[in-house]
Amino acid sequence: MRKIKVALENIVDEIKDFYDYKLWHFLTINGVALEDNKLEVQWIFSKYEALDDVMVYYVECDYKDLIPSVVEIIPSAIISQREIIDMFGVKVEGSEKGLYLDEDSLQAPLSGCSI
Amino acid sequence: MFSLNKYRKKSPWILHYNAGSCNGCDIEILACLSPKYDLERFGVINTGNPKQSDIFLVTGPVTFRSRERLIELYTQMPEPKVVVAVGSCTCTGGVFRDMYNVEDGIDIYIPVDVYIPGCAASPELIIDGVVQALDILEKKTKEMEIPFKLFKEATTKKGITSRRESALKIGENDEKN
Amino acid sequence: MKKTINIPLGSQHISLLEPVRFKFECENEKIVGVDSDVGFVHRGVEKACTTRFKYDAVGYVVARVCGLCAITHSLSYTVAIEQLLDVEVSKKAKYLRVLLLELDRIHSHMLCLSHTCESAGFEAMFMRIMGDRELIMEIQELLTGNRIQFDYISIGGVNRDISLETAKKIVNSLDIVKQKVLGYIDEFTNNWSLSLKFKGIGALTLDEAYRFNAIGPLARASGLHIDVRNEIEYLPYKELGFKMQTHTDGDINARNIIRLNEILNSLEMCNNILAGVPEGEIVVKSKGKPSGESLVRFEAPRGELMYFVKGNATAMLDRVRIKTPTFSSIPAFSHIFMGENYADAPAILASFDPCLSCTAK
Repeated sequence: MRKIKVALENIVDEIKDFYDYKLWHFLTINGVALEDNKLEVQWIFSKYEALDDVMVYYVECDYKDLIPSVVEIIPSAIISQREIIDMFGVKVEGSEKGLYLDEDSLQAPLSGCSI
Repeated sequence: MFSLNKYRKKSPWILHYNAGSCNGCDIEILACLSPKYDLERFGVINTGNPKQSDIFLVTGPVTFRSRERLIELYTQMPEPKVVVAVGSCTCTGGVFRDMYNVEDGIDIYIPVDVYIPGCAASPELIIDGVVQALDILEKKTKEMEIPFKLFKEATTKKGITSRRESALKIGENDEKN
Repeated sequence: MKKTINIPLGSQHISLLEPVRFKFECENEKIVGVDSDVGFVHRGVEKACTTRFKYDAVGYVVARVCGLCAITHSLSYTVAIEQLLDVEVSKKAKYLRVLLLELDRIHSHMLCLSHTCESAGFEAMFMRIMGDRELIMEIQELLTGNRIQFDYISIGGVNRDISLETAKKIVNSLDIVKQKVLGYIDEFTNNWSLSLKFKGIGALTLDEAYRFNAIGPLARASGLHIDVRNEIEYLPYKELGFKMQTHTDGDINARNIIRLNEILNSLEMCNNILAGVPEGEIVVKSKGKPSGESLVRFEAPRGELMYFVKGNATAMLDRVRIKTPTFSSIPAFSHIFMGENYADAPAILASFDPCLSCTAK
């Protein structure tokens, strides 16, 4: 697993340069709650027909930050983006909430702090 | 004369709803309907229409989004109806108990007649449960046939008149007559 | 005047095992728009894994994410923890893990094939395949003690040993299954009425499979060479004779053929394992508490399953991320429905083999 840290404002450009849709398989977007009200967001890719070659791009950000959308580069990322909105209560460009949670559910269950 | 009640016990129809289970019990129900266990020898058939079914098989601890559908399906089924809770998580919440998006068990929302334990409930247990449900269905059919207003006064609890209580139980003596 | 009509499918429907709601926007018979709601089964397993259960119990909890691929879930989690604890599992335990993984794949594929037939209106084939599937379920019961949810894998190895007599019985049953599967291949390729329902329906091209990051049998039916069994070295798939199955048509028929061929391949692998189970311990004791991050991928019956585990040297984990196969295939599903007839929708949906309790966790 190779991990590369990117600044939040550069992430879309970075993924655009890196992502070749016939070479890399997009796995998912993952969030990890860190201490001090910080959030780590990871974009995970794996290489087709290669042994254990997983590439992770990640950013560290606040819960208030607007996370840019990668749907124009990777169309199937839309469902991962909707999930991360529900689970962490963050805002992602161009995606709405309500994939899993209802009005009376616990909101942002994985955030690790109340927002 | 053609009597519907006579045939209801001989061929009860099943409605199956997954209220958030892990699929384990659902595929065991499917396995019950397949040739080895063959629940269909009791005349049981799996139907998708609540308005034609007699036995309601529910799996899963009720998740928040499936609550309304569960009650909607239950209310759409005609009387008499029997509810069978299949699997540990349907009975009590099981391994999912106290998770944030589940209600612990279906008996919070609808009355349950038969509880089938097990994770996943084995086909033998499911068959046993459905056979018990058939007996309850027959009993409920007989209860429905009794004109209950004639026997006892309707009881009032907390301002709500209940006629269910006033029904004469099977085998009970008729006091008025 | 409005020219399209909306037809819902689900959340409760005779062709669905699980609650999912699709809203099809139809123009006459053709589907022109799809809206899906997959969150009916969301229970909150990810949160419970980090707050309610200690790390050695989570393996049995994540198995309850999905009943069909339970073994892959518990295996992925266990391997992730073993990487954090530096546990080296014996070769025998690895072989037994592959055996159960492949048996699970066989019965899951058989369920999917029977269900596809039922959705196409071929009830007799449904009964036939479901009847033969019981042979595999019996083997699983013999090996692990339960038909489904068999909690077979523990941290450091497996929970039950296999005896010589059991192995013999299993080999006999697998031979019968193989003959039956060869019969299905004949039926699926030569039956004229099935070809009307399956050939050319619900097609996904290779480029679309790349674009939508399709996985599992769905992608392999379109000719995309993606199979995690080919991309990991943890389990000894190469020496057991794993062969990737691909097809070029990408329609329902291709998916069925892929599944049938995979069953044959899995049966061969099971036979290879049973021919020479290595000697050794089945469980290795582990020490310490997990700390650090690890990411593990495995091939579930429906495609790639990913676990991301982060520990902090205590009994409670920091994060367990479950990326399930059906979850990442939903964009591809929605795309395939476009331009198909509404009447074919249940058969197309069954051919995806969707697992919604995986999706919503």
